[in-house]
Amino acid sequence: MRRVIADLIAFGRQYMRSRVGAFFAFAFPLILILLFGAIFSGQGATKIPLYVQDQDDTPLSRAFVQAVNNTTVIEYRQIPDDVDILAYIQQNSINTALRIPAGFQATILANQTVNVTLYGDPTLSTYGIAASAVSGAATGMNFGLAGARPMIGMEAQTVSREQFKFIDFFLPGMIGFTVLTNALFAMTPTAAEYRSRKYFKFLGTTSLTKGEWLLSKILFYTFIMSVSALIIFAVSALVWGGKAVLTPLTFAFIAAGCFLFTSMGMLLGTYTKDVETASAVANAIGFPMMFLGGTFFQIEAMPPIIQGLAAVMPLTYVNEGLRATMIFGNEAKALLYLGITVVLGLVFFVLASRALSWKSK
Amino acid sequence: MAEAVIEVRALTKHYPNVKAVDGVDFEVEAGQIFSLLGPNGAGKTTTIEILEGLRDPTGGEARLFGTDIRTGYAKIRGRVGVLPQDFEPFDRLRPREAVTYWATLVNRRITKEEVAELLETVGLTARADAYGMHLSGGEKRRLGIAMALVGKADLVFLDEPTTGLDPGARRDLWGLIRALKGAGRTVVLTTHYLDEAEQLADDVAIMYKGKIVTRGSPKQLIDRHGGGTTIVLAGAGEAGCKAVEARGIPCHLEDGDVLVHVADIGQVRAMLAKVAAIDISLTQIYTKRPTLEDVFLRIVGARMEEGELAA
Repeated sequence: MRRVIADLIAFGRQYMRSRVGAFFAFAFPLILILLFGAIFSGQGATKIPLYVQDQDDTPLSRAFVQAVNNTTVIEYRQIPDDVDILAYIQQNSINTALRIPAGFQATILANQTVNVTLYGDPTLSTYGIAASAVSGAATGMNFGLAGARPMIGMEAQTVSREQFKFIDFFLPGMIGFTVLTNALFAMTPTAAEYRSRKYFKFLGTTSLTKGEWLLSKILFYTFIMSVSALIIFAVSALVWGGKAVLTPLTFAFIAAGCFLFTSMGMLLGTYTKDVETASAVANAIGFPMMFLGGTFFQIEAMPPIIQGLAAVMPLTYVNEGLRATMIFGNEAKALLYLGITVVLGLVFFVLASRALSWKSK
Repeated sequence: MAEAVIEVRALTKHYPNVKAVDGVDFEVEAGQIFSLLGPNGAGKTTTIEILEGLRDPTGGEARLFGTDIRTGYAKIRGRVGVLPQDFEPFDRLRPREAVTYWATLVNRRITKEEVAELLETVGLTARADAYGMHLSGGEKRRLGIAMALVGKADLVFLDEPTTGLDPGARRDLWGLIRALKGAGRTVVLTTHYLDEAEQLADDVAIMYKGKIVTRGSPKQLIDRHGGGTTIVLAGAGEAGCKAVEARGIPCHLEDGDVLVHVADIGQVRAMLAKVAAIDISLTQIYTKRPTLEDVFLRIVGARMEEGELAA
């Protein structure tokens, strides 16, 4: 164990003295949690702008605009009623606009159907929000004009233990992502560097074993990632009022994730020619895993084929396991995913140990 | 006769298309500096990496301190120090930290005072707290030697320790290598610098194409293969060469100098008097003893420059 600790300290010193290492361990996740927190925390402007041209300008058309505005998801902005709306949209780079035609009130009072027009790009998420708001307002007014009332309502209820925010759902993904980027992205070029600079050979002249060398890296990353997780958790709680819970299983996942991704990085680094190639290989494998593993996007919202891919991404089990324990308190699911992570880690550890050679051929 | 620290018999290392080491035999006595000399690709590094336990031989036998390296390396690992070829220290470790770290890896408990003493031995005291990446080439090799010595090794392998260093740093390192011998250690030195082997080694083995082609002390090799003494008529030129040949004395021209070889050292004085009596224009006249360079040229048939064979 003395050799493992000595190797851990020597490696740790070098890692922390490399500003890149410290940046990716602490500063980068901190920046991301602050950035994503600012985007999704509900503070500041969260309404989408809806440009409205009211060519009717009657009590009913104004009431409709008011109803749309009351949905609270849009911010009303007026388009002058004497301009060509399509030209105005183009000139002002407007994403979503609504035109209420002249004769809106007269048509309704004549007991005929009148259409308002929503302009926009249906592929944008803001268009869907505006369409829902306009449709909801139209339905409400239709009920009002018909003297009817809706028979089915909806009451929103969160499924997690407490009133969680987006930042809480994001936090576990952020921890998983940090483990991935540090352990995999750092370990792959490190292994390539150790090979190309003949450090492995030099280590081969000592009593340090391959397993001890790997173990020291896993322990180091587990320690660093635990500190990093505590920091981003604290920022999430103190700055954004996050309510996700740090459980013992959270740290078990950090350890298992470090075990898995350090071993994977070691394996990749053993088979790459040089540090540059190793970094490229780590990126090529790590980036798809980052996006498909549920770090930033919910896996359930992905197309079925992508969900299939997500199922074979090791990061998926780390992220979803962390969410299970930190958000939903579902320890059974968390333990299952922890088991999968550990088994995957063992597979990569054995492969890495076999591939890594102190000796030349 | 001193105890043999290294015994190598019929050692081979074969790859599909290359016999990197092809039936090598030698032994190294305790307290000696033994040099494996040869061009790049001769098999020097492969041979010593087998002895360092970093490569498995294809065949033959090798023993260190009487222990078979194939089966008993773990027992003797602590007695062997290694400076690998092209040694690079860890970029962001200080020499003081690197030596302490390495001591633990070779299972030695080392005090701060012992670390300081070791750094003093290799002349790195002033640079003990500099990052590895900020050390000069010579300082890096010194650190490598300190790390090789940290386990109190009796046998030290130095694989091309001065390659790429400037002449001053090379000479400084030679002093350190001599000091290792002075402290009773056995040193195995691979090099492609002929002057280095000649200056440092007690015993030299010239390796070429995987084989040891000749072996002995530098003096023995020079006496055996050096081709005798050379009389140099500096600046005598082509006309001088023709004038010497006209007296029935074989000679050849090299860079404007006329060289006359005298195989028997007893004939040097007489030959010197003979050529000095010839009326030719020259800047000076002197004799030159052969060096290992001449030995290498005679044996391999080519000169060696920075490890590569020159035509």
